[in-house]
Amino acid sequence: MTPAVTAPEPCTAAYSCGPVKLSLTFDECTLQKTLDGLLSQYDAPWPAPTTEVFVTIEQGLPPDDIPKPAGAYLRSYRLHVDRRGTHLVSFSNVGVWMDFDEAAKQARIIVPDHSDRETVVEEVEQQLVLLLARAWAGQGWTPLHAGSLIPPVGTDCVLVCAPSGVGKTTLISALLRRGWRTLGDDKVLLRKENGSIVARALSRRVHLHPTLANWFPEIGAIEKWPRYSRWTEKRMVKMEAIWPGQLMGSAIPAGLVQLARAESGPALAVEPFDSIRTLHSLLRQIAIPADTADARPLVSCAAAMAGRLRAALVTVGNNAFSDSSTAGRLEETLRGLLP
Amino acid sequence: MHSQTDNHRWMLRPDVVSTVLNDGAVILDLRSKFFFSANPTGWAIAQMFETGATRAEVHGACRKWGAADAGIPEIDVLIDQMISEGLVESVNTPGAAANGVTVAAWVSPTLSKHREPLQRIMVSAFDPGLPLAE
Repeated sequence: MTPAVTAPEPCTAAYSCGPVKLSLTFDECTLQKTLDGLLSQYDAPWPAPTTEVFVTIEQGLPPDDIPKPAGAYLRSYRLHVDRRGTHLVSFSNVGVWMDFDEAAKQARIIVPDHSDRETVVEEVEQQLVLLLARAWAGQGWTPLHAGSLIPPVGTDCVLVCAPSGVGKTTLISALLRRGWRTLGDDKVLLRKENGSIVARALSRRVHLHPTLANWFPEIGAIEKWPRYSRWTEKRMVKMEAIWPGQLMGSAIPAGLVQLARAESGPALAVEPFDSIRTLHSLLRQIAIPADTADARPLVSCAAAMAGRLRAALVTVGNNAFSDSSTAGRLEETLRGLLP
Repeated sequence: MHSQTDNHRWMLRPDVVSTVLNDGAVILDLRSKFFFSANPTGWAIAQMFETGATRAEVHGACRKWGAADAGIPEIDVLIDQMISEGLVESVNTPGAAANGVTVAAWVSPTLSKHREPLQRIMVSAFDPGLPLAE
């Protein structure tokens, strides 16, 4: 007897992602459960969302009567994105298609039936990250890929800029255990408010590598937490579980550290930055599309900030944190960047 | 490249973004991803190209801002640099009204190209940087 074929159950879900509420409709629930990890991470406390974007995610084939994007607007390792009027049209390596009408605040994502399911899911995630980045920018926020540190007393913060894998989280962890606070280890939103730039937290989670417990034992065994991605051993850990009360909602950026790692040399080296190098650091942490109207507010926000930040290149040697004095010297350096 | 017979009207390319930084400015070419920093006089000249200007109009404005005739060649060097870097393009539009740019004190104009461009291919729409291997 052939089992009866039942249509997959559609489902809906809503997530508050900072200032943007995402309302999603899936034509089958499995994908919603898979994407829950990504969309739940933007869980830092915010005032009520200021806009809502409606997204439908369905299985199928991308429209064959619409030219594939060439990547003129933005290219990532996964996506080619073009702007067509108010629409952002994005096509991924394995064929995940998104059409995001920014004016109507509606997006449609079409997910192909592909044997490499993990890659398909990652590329749907990338489409949603693109959608969120643009929706945040549409609300006047500049997404910055950076960590942040706020001293135990005060509301000014130091932004920590570096590509993934250089050690933003390690540096932040080393200072959190000395009573500093943070807006997160790799994502903040920035906006001009009342003449100054404000940074706001997006996520309550930090991305910790299990080996960090060798230096910072309070981290403990974190293997039970979900992996950040299949490409890394890092776990997405709720900050409250390790450093309760040290996640802040917002802060005023006053300093910047461009973090680098050295295979040899001293445990810590510090070199002051001028405003041009500071701006370069900031611009390298912002995904700037090749569209003047969309790029201008992002560049202008970075420039407004670069002129005010006290900044330095901080090079940390390998294994620097095995020496407990490194964190103290870092703390001194960071305090020197704050008013 | 330049000469007194250069009557082209030059305008910043549509995919060039400029923004003020301290006294000067930063000019970002969204196509090449290179960026340039200009001192206040370099920025004043660059601003003339926002609405379009000929070389002669730039010379005239710079004289008003305090440039001596002996300083004209270095103004041409900057204009040539903007042309050769593709920051400006030749346009056929008529001359625009003066854009109200002022210069507090004339110094030689400079435009420095930064060695390292921004990322052309990004990791994601939030994280432009290429990660280090763990």
